[in-house]
Amino acid sequence: MARLLVTIGSIFLTLLGVSVVIFVILRLVPGDPISMMLPPGATDEVRANLERLYGLDKSIPAQYVIWLRNVAWLDFGMSTQFRLPVTEIILDRLPATLELVLLASLIALVLAFAFSVLAVWLQVDSATLAIDGLAGLAQAIPDFLWALIFILAVTLFAPMMPISGRFDPRTAQDFATNFYLLESLVTFRIDAFAELTRYAVLPALALALPLAAGITRVLKGALEEAMAQDYVMLAQTKGKSRLAIVLGEALRNAMIPTIALTSVQLTFLIGGTVLIERQFSWPGIGSTAISAVINRDLPLIQGIVLVFALIFIMINLASNELYRAADPRLRTVR
Amino acid sequence: MKKLLGPLAGTALAANVAFADDSTLTIAYNVSLPSWDATVGVSAVNPTIQSIYKSVYDQYIDQNPDLSFRPGLLTEWGWNEDRSKVFMVVREGASWHNGDPVTPADVVWSLERAGKEETGNPIQFLWSTLGNFTVDGNRIDADVLRFDPTIFKWMAFLTAYVLPKDYYAEVGAEGFEKAPIGSGPYMVDEYVANSFVRLKRYDGYWGEAPEFETVIFKFLPDASARVAEVETGASDITLEIPYEEYDRLAAKDGLNGVTTPVSDIGMIFINDVGVMEDANVRKAAAHAINKDLIVDRLLRGYGVPIDTLQAPEYAAFTAETTVAYDPERSKELLAASGYSPDNPVKFKIQTTRGFKPKDYEMIQAVTGMWKRVGIEAEIEVYEIAKHFDLRARDALAPAAFYNWGNSIGDPSTSTGFSMFGPSPHSTWDTEDVDAMIGPLWGEDDEDARIAGYQKVDAYIAENAMVIPLLQFVQPIIYRDGLSVTPHVANFLLPQNVSSN
Amino acid sequence: MSSVESFSLEKGRGGGGTGLERSTERITLLRMVFGCAAIGALLAAALFAPWIAPHDPTLDDLFLINMPPAWLNDDLAYFGIENAWAYPLGTDSLGRDVASRLIYGARLAMIVGVSVACLAALAGVILGALAGFYGGWIDNVISRIVDVWLSFPPVLLSIILVAMLGTTLTSVIIVVAVIDWTRFARVVRADVLQQRSRDYIDAARIAGGSDLSILIREVLPNVLPLLVTLFFFEIGIAITVETILSFVSLSVSSGAATWGDMIAEGRRVINEAWWVMAFPVGALVITILGLNAMGDALRFYLDPVLRK
Repeated sequence: MARLLVTIGSIFLTLLGVSVVIFVILRLVPGDPISMMLPPGATDEVRANLERLYGLDKSIPAQYVIWLRNVAWLDFGMSTQFRLPVTEIILDRLPATLELVLLASLIALVLAFAFSVLAVWLQVDSATLAIDGLAGLAQAIPDFLWALIFILAVTLFAPMMPISGRFDPRTAQDFATNFYLLESLVTFRIDAFAELTRYAVLPALALALPLAAGITRVLKGALEEAMAQDYVMLAQTKGKSRLAIVLGEALRNAMIPTIALTSVQLTFLIGGTVLIERQFSWPGIGSTAISAVINRDLPLIQGIVLVFALIFIMINLASNELYRAADPRLRTVR
Repeated sequence: MKKLLGPLAGTALAANVAFADDSTLTIAYNVSLPSWDATVGVSAVNPTIQSIYKSVYDQYIDQNPDLSFRPGLLTEWGWNEDRSKVFMVVREGASWHNGDPVTPADVVWSLERAGKEETGNPIQFLWSTLGNFTVDGNRIDADVLRFDPTIFKWMAFLTAYVLPKDYYAEVGAEGFEKAPIGSGPYMVDEYVANSFVRLKRYDGYWGEAPEFETVIFKFLPDASARVAEVETGASDITLEIPYEEYDRLAAKDGLNGVTTPVSDIGMIFINDVGVMEDANVRKAAAHAINKDLIVDRLLRGYGVPIDTLQAPEYAAFTAETTVAYDPERSKELLAASGYSPDNPVKFKIQTTRGFKPKDYEMIQAVTGMWKRVGIEAEIEVYEIAKHFDLRARDALAPAAFYNWGNSIGDPSTSTGFSMFGPSPHSTWDTEDVDAMIGPLWGEDDEDARIAGYQKVDAYIAENAMVIPLLQFVQPIIYRDGLSVTPHVANFLLPQNVSSN
Repeated sequence: MSSVESFSLEKGRGGGGTGLERSTERITLLRMVFGCAAIGALLAAALFAPWIAPHDPTLDDLFLINMPPAWLNDDLAYFGIENAWAYPLGTDSLGRDVASRLIYGARLAMIVGVSVACLAALAGVILGALAGFYGGWIDNVISRIVDVWLSFPPVLLSIILVAMLGTTLTSVIIVVAVIDWTRFARVVRADVLQQRSRDYIDAARIAGGSDLSILIREVLPNVLPLLVTLFFFEIGIAITVETILSFVSLSVSSGAATWGDMIAEGRRVINEAWWVMAFPVGALVITILGLNAMGDALRFYLDPVLRK
């Protein structure tokens, strides 16, 4: 219980630190929403008036205190660009991002699983080398370049594949939540699910490939290590096939360290949504973040950064816990 | 998002499940629409978003594709003899998307709201020049509090949209964002920010009914994504793509292209600081640029070289004021100030990148031309937001590339605001130019006003206080079976697209 | 950043299982050879750019726009040149020589990569070592800062920071270093923390060594293998981030020939002149592969634990 309280306390402290840093940085960036909306012919008076309207006439600490006080009531202010409460915008777009991240992680896991098991099962140098090479390549090409490659490939070879948006804008989406993909799955609307997946698969794949490579490298190592243990010899003498051993004993033992070691990489995948969503016009918080930066929508940037921070903190916490669970020796450290 | 769409979307959504393709027009659009209030905030003064606003809302006064003015929600307008009063006649038979009629009260409310400081209308300083509105039937009279000769031109320009008074009062500002209604040819059906907006034809529209029942604007800021969209047939039409891609796609089976010079120019702002105070340096910089070569080679001919801030379609354009390409003259001018290719004059030039077609590449080509005559300019790329910030603080580099849109084609909104010292948008601030422009603000003889600006333009060109480069050309690619009427004001209006 | 491997604390990865020891050694050797070749080529290009490059990488020629690579160039008359091999890899949309830009790009990639890695390593090692060695409130403060830093979405933060600092080579280097120093700090802290409790540290203490000398003489050498590997990874990361920033039009301006700049530009003319983008993408990928391979291999050779 006490540990839980400390954890929650430290989450808040970290979020507070994040908010101070981003608040100050944003106010040091040249350009503000007011300069963007000044038309030809506006006077200094107009500028002062608009600054007052958007609360930008006060000192940075004063602005921060006001903002923090409102945040305590879950009011993140109004987006200057969308003219809606930041909270509402984020709640509206976050599901799209989460679904994309979920699908991407799933793809990464499946790919990594398949390739690592294959490599360890075959136990052939050439196969290991090939899979190492593929993983290295997948990792060396950053996700936004993968996205670019996919868009070009679609134009050339698969014009039927969608490359923008989350669904066909000609169709109406009658879902109760904004988790379209999940909702269509749990309500067994297979047609809708297939259609939504078609739109999500390319951006998800672009995000997934580097992560898949990362997981493959770790999982393969862990499997190799596990295969060298005594119980494998024991299983072998019992006449189990090599594949059965890899899928059974070895995988079970390799799972926890793999998840613990790669969950940090998941944060890179999530951070990658910022560019990928923009490239695929995916209506999540990542694409919103870029347009907020371009338009100097300060309240919205602050809100989105905090949401990302919260997600990252959670993942890092989970990763630490798993790591602790996986490796007892580490319990002494921190 | 549907949850946020309120009553309007509810009814519309129930009706449609899927659409026949020939009744739907899908536009791969280059910017994302952030806000539905066309009169307030950043997006209100973003020229690129106006196409969507103009599909949903009516302006007080409308513009033909050639920039000439035509009635919008106002059918008549004008001043009295001594310009102390204006009158406006509101169109009969126009209605809001919820069925209520558009009344003079809506127009008066929209004008008064725009003129109030607390609303946050960025053009408030102009709308507040009218006041004391009285309504008699369909006629509105108002007092001219400060005379501005361009007020009726502005009624066809930024933030000049009529919004529904009663509906707005009922739903409030946030409610309006979620379920906006206007009186234009299309109504908002579904809107997903940063992704798309789907519009439905409004059958109660007062004007000619547009051909397409459904119009989708897909927001695709990335040009390669827009190209891919039309190439794969996912979208019917797109704009603002690289000219190389335009040529390639226009030559393809199943696709057509149209280009038109638009009311948007590329220019190099000159700041009157440092070496730029030396007229020889400025003139040398101006004469060293081969605009024809830039247009021909870099822009594949898609651009119109200009020598003043007036494009040929603008009211104060004259072919008489020119700045010749003359690198030898540049060398002489520089030599007179003690510079040469071996001892070049140095300054910084700022430019956007990927914001306008070939912006950065043009500036690279310009600095290459400068290098040959003895000017060494260091390029700095800046963002749009930074440009506006620097411009408002008069802190731009000695030279800075940016564009200047002017869809009403008036010289006050080009030369006036960009060269008049007291304007926060001017980068060049000297008394000689201010003294020439100053009296023109209140000039009520239209011919004298235009002639006055032509004189200013000639003086500015002679002294190279700004370097106009070219008028941009808008490339539009569309699929077979459509016909498109391009709009010089750089709008891509779905009501101007039809199938043939 | 998003795509490049988080190094974190993956010890024992790729490690030698008993049965696979020999093949692991062979693969490591292969990696080493490939890494050396790639980095060697990169270094050579970077160092000798002015002598190798056939043209000035920033010199444009509007009459030579989008000229194909020499072996595909069958329209010499149109471009008005006699020898296609004067522009071996073709020209870009400003008529600049792609090969020369690629070579000078290697130079800038090395400058960005190595400077970032040095800065990030310096900051990370100092802070990480302090935290790990002294513990207590110093560790608390530094760890808290690291936590805050790790909570930022890196791509977004780098875009905001470059918007703040401007688009110069220096600011790009500073931004990437500012974002990535935590990578070093975390690893160094964890390692120092482990070593601190070892006997030889106590021995050194009893022998009367100062904190600084113990840190430098006893602790750091043990962290070194990991640091070297991280250093190589960081160079790759820095080059990638430069590309990301170019991609959103925010990297080094002033016409400098960076690979990111070339990719961003080539993307716009991909259907007319694929070579403008293809070559720098290839260079980028080979460089990162080489750096990663080199890092992995060096770690294997340097770390006695891994070699068992």
